[in-house]
Amino acid sequence: MKIRITYLGRRYQHAEVLPEQLNLADGATIADAVDEVNALLHDTTLPGSCLVTVSGEHVGSVDRFTDRALREGEELVLIAPVAGG
Amino acid sequence: MSRHGHSRTPPRRPGPLQLSPAERERYDRQLGPGVLSEEGQLRLKGASALVTRVGGMGGPAAQMLAMAGVGNVIIAHGGEMISPDLNRQVLGSENVLGQPRATEFAAYLRTMNRMINVEAIDHEPDDAEAFELARRCDIILSCPPTFAERLRLNRSAVAAGIPLIDAAQWGMTGTLIVVRPGQTACLQCVYPNEPPFEELFPVVGAISCATGALAALEAIKILSGTGKPLFGRLLTYDGFVGRPSVVELKRNPNCPVCGHI
Ligand SMILES: [Zn+2]
Repeated sequence: MKIRITYLGRRYQHAEVLPEQLNLADGATIADAVDEVNALLHDTTLPGSCLVTVSGEHVGSVDRFTDRALREGEELVLIAPVAGG
Repeated sequence: MSRHGHSRTPPRRPGPLQLSPAERERYDRQLGPGVLSEEGQLRLKGASALVTRVGGMGGPAAQMLAMAGVGNVIIAHGGEMISPDLNRQVLGSENVLGQPRATEFAAYLRTMNRMINVEAIDHEPDDAEAFELARRCDIILSCPPTFAERLRLNRSAVAAGIPLIDAAQWGMTGTLIVVRPGQTACLQCVYPNEPPFEELFPVVGAISCATGALAALEAIKILSGTGKPLFGRLLTYDGFVGRPSVVELKRNPNCPVCGHI
């Protein structure tokens, strides 16, 4: 099963090491995808406050989200919070 | 509407009865189909907006509110202007280096529109002052550097039942979250734990300005009752690769700030 991934927000340059799509086993969940992204990030991991959204639906943040099975072609968007002034 | 009730659109105070000839002339290009009605412009004239702080994003946001004719623009920002501010803080200039930001920026805003009132607060409001300010405003534009200040402004907006627009940035990315208390996720719903913050965050002024201007546009829409505000959504513009993204934010029914509404 292929899903698309996008990493936005603080330290977006980390996304340069990520592929545009993840290959996951059928029946894989959001948690599996988040684990896979963390494994692909070389020098860092996703912050706990990073928002997790799937196909436009906000399901929580990395440290607490509502898990569910993913479907072929869905898009996982991870948004690390930004502030700045 | 109760202080703890839903947000108000249009503003709580009845606006003035009509525009003066000078106001009608000034706002001529923003009155008409697809932009503001005369009634909407009058609502802006009767509205009060708090912008804190007025740096990279809050500066252009305050400027756009002032130029659009928001009747009372309150800006809060402590400290003096320093050289690294000048890559993005459009209310400043070489002449303002070393000068207190709030008073200088307010003076500049007054030169942009003589028909509005600008109030300057030369420090960051604490909890009590933020609550007090929220009670006499119709909207808050949250543009400070720290999450602690943003979450404080969120608590004040929710308690007062007024909308909050949170504008944020990092590098070449800008984000907007538009909160309508009691109806959409608030900042505390989105950030139950305060995210990490870095004091010397990287930023390019072009994204600050774009994000601040979009925050002002949302405020103008909400205050005037025009268009469809981004209520309950997070808009991210990743300028590094040129990609916009919009997601619906989920309310937390157990949110300590808005869960009771
Ligand atoms: Zn909330």
